Amino acid sequence: MNILPALATTSDALAAEKTRLDVIGQNIANAHTTRGPDGNVYQRRVVTFEAQLRQAIGIDGGSLVSGPRVAAITTDATPGEAVFKPSHPHADAEGMVRMPNVNLSHEMVDLITASRSYEANLSVVRTARQMAQRALQMGR
Amino acid sequence: MIDHLLASENYGVAKKLLDAAALRHEALATNIANVETAGFKRVDLAPDFARQLADFSARPGMDTIEAIHPKVAEDRLTQAMRPDGNNVQVDRELLEMNRNALEYEFLTQYASDSIKRLKSAITGRIQ
Repeated sequence: MNILPALATTSDALAAEKTRLDVIGQNIANAHTTRGPDGNVYQRRVVTFEAQLRQAIGIDGGSLVSGPRVAAITTDATPGEAVFKPSHPHADAEGMVRMPNVNLSHEMVDLITASRSYEANLSVVRTARQMAQRALQMGR
Repeated sequence: MIDHLLASENYGVAKKLLDAAALRHEALATNIANVETAGFKRVDLAPDFARQLADFSARPGMDTIEAIHPKVAEDRLTQAMRPDGNNVQVDRELLEMNRNALEYEFLTQYASDSIKRLKSAITGRIQ
């Protein structure tokens, strides 16, 4: 058994949430990118998590204890809105420019959710540390 | 005297409950870690741990304590409130975790006091 219980699970979660924050940051940064390296308009990326099984963490072995990992970073294929901007270098023959499908308010909500999840996991570490300290002070 | 202090039933139960509290912390940490994982079902101490403890209080004895094994199991009673089938509520998990940590603190204090009593019996000094 670990001195800090559940450290592996929590660190998996922190890494996964960090990736999500990175991707949300990328979406916000590219909210106005009308041409990417592939020549197309930027499409927002979505992170999905999946649980992974960790065997034999429990006292008895074979317990159902698992941490999340990033399953995939997928591209949201929903078309972004087309704006009439004839002066824009990326405008088509009718003067329409296809904008990225990034919705800033959606990204902000996701950003806050991800950072709150990150904080919740940090408080798990804090509690685990307190518990380990108590255990170390036994008999003092 | 030593037999009484470190082989007493209360000390044995405190040890088992400490194991259970550490395991429960892992279970609650898993729930908080997987709050965004679609389809995840929360885990907690298996309900037969409570049953085994009740058996112990009905029939106390060191062999009954040794037979108790806390295990983690999927919580089938909590309904999922979200469309992705995940039934974790962070506020509830954090609350349970704080309660569990307090229980752990109480148990370590109890075990600590048992050891201190033994220490003062050996040295003849009050710690």
